[in-house]
Amino acid sequence: MAAEGDKFVYDPERNYDDATLAQIRVMENEIASQNNIVSERLSMQNLKDEYADADDVFKLKIKDLESRYHYMRRTRGDGNCFYRAFGFACLEMFLADSKNLPRFKDVAQKSRDELVSLGFPQFTIEDFHESFMDVIEKIEKQCSVTELSDIFNNQGLSDYIVVYLRLLVSGYLQKEAEFFVNFIEGERTVKEFCNQEVEPMGKESDHIHIIALTSTLGIPVRVEYMDRVDSSKCTQHNFPEDSQPSIVLLYRPGHYDILYSR
Amino acid sequence: MTSMEKRLQKELQALTKDPPAGVIVNTESVSQNMSEWIVDLYGAPGSLYDGEKFQLSFKFSPRYPFDSPQVMFIGPNIPVHPHVYSNGHICLSILTDDWSPALSVTSVCLSIVSMLSSCQEKKRPPDNAIYVKTCSKNPKKTRWFYHDDTV
Repeated sequence: MAAEGDKFVYDPERNYDDATLAQIRVMENEIASQNNIVSERLSMQNLKDEYADADDVFKLKIKDLESRYHYMRRTRGDGNCFYRAFGFACLEMFLADSKNLPRFKDVAQKSRDELVSLGFPQFTIEDFHESFMDVIEKIEKQCSVTELSDIFNNQGLSDYIVVYLRLLVSGYLQKEAEFFVNFIEGERTVKEFCNQEVEPMGKESDHIHIIALTSTLGIPVRVEYMDRVDSSKCTQHNFPEDSQPSIVLLYRPGHYDILYSR
Repeated sequence: MTSMEKRLQKELQALTKDPPAGVIVNTESVSQNMSEWIVDLYGAPGSLYDGEKFQLSFKFSPRYPFDSPQVMFIGPNIPVHPHVYSNGHICLSILTDDWSPALSVTSVCLSIVSMLSSCQEKKRPPDNAIYVKTCSKNPKKTRWFYHDDTV
C-alpha cells in the first residue's frame, strides 16, 4: 500500500540475514579502522573530551579519576577488550618490575598440561600456549613498551594472546565448577557456560571472568566503575577483595580500558 | 606459509594419523586446495544412520582459526535430521556463535557425529521448505537461532 511507503513490511519470502550480517560487518570494520587494538598512553584530557557534552554524573566521575590517574590506554571495543586490557597491563607491569615474572612464567608454563587434562584438544592448546610463552620470553628479555604495543596491535598475535587468556579462564572455571555453578545464569553447566561465553572470541567479560583470570594467574586487578550510578566518585573493586593490585582497568558499561596511577 | 595454512597442515596430520571413528578426511581434495576439505563421515553403529555414508565440505577463510570454518553436507546423501536442511546446511552452534579457535576440524566432525547419533526420529527441520528457498548459499550467512539441544 502506498500509504505504508516508509513503513517496514516483513516479507516472509525474503532472506534478511545477508543484509543484517553485511551491516554487522560494516560496523565491525568501522570500529577496526577507527581505533588501534590497544592505543598509546593518552592523557586524561582525552577522556574528558569524550564526555564534553555529558551530564554532571560523568563529569564528576572523570574529575575523580583525574585526581588519581595520570594516563589511560584505550582498547578496541570488539568484545575482547577485557583480555587485551588485562594482558597488556600485566605484561607492561612486568617490564617495569620483573620481580614476580618468574612465578608468572611458571604458572603460564604449567597451564598447558592442566588445560589438556581438562579435555581441551592438545594440539590447538599447544599452538596458543607456544605463542603466549613467546611473548613472555620477550618480556623476560626486557623488550620495549613499543614492541609490546606492536605485538598487541598485530591482529594475529594479539588474537593468539586473547585466545589463550580465554582458555585459562575456561580452565579455571571448569576446575572450580562446584563453586562457580552458583553464579551462572540460566540452566547451564559450567562447561556449557565456558563453551558459550568464554571460549568464543568477542564474548564480553563479566565479574566471573575477572575472578577466574586474576585467580588462575595470581595477578590482582582493580576495576574503576564509571557508570550512571548517582555518585561523585567511581566505584572501586579489587579482585581479589583483600589485594593491593598494581593493574587498574577502567570499566564503562560494556567496555574496559587501562588506567595508570599518579 | 600463512598461519592459517600452518594450522591446517597440523590439523591434517593429526586427523590422518589418528582419525576418530567414522571420520575419514579425503586427502586428495586437500592436496589440491588447502582451504577446502572434503571429509567422509559414517553413521555410528547402533544409530539411526548406521551404515550410511555422508560427505562434509569444509571451507576455511584466511582468518581461520579465528573465523569458524564454513561446514555443510554435500553429495547425494544428506542426512535426514531435525538440524540438517535438505540443502546440506547444519544448525549447530559451534559452527557460528559458539565457535572457538581452540576447536578444530576433528572437534567439529565429532560434534556432528554425536548430533546424528543422538537423533530419535529421522525428519527434516520444520522450516526446511522456506529456509531452503530463501537462504544464502553460505550457511555462515544465516543467523541461526539455537533452541533445542536435545536432538
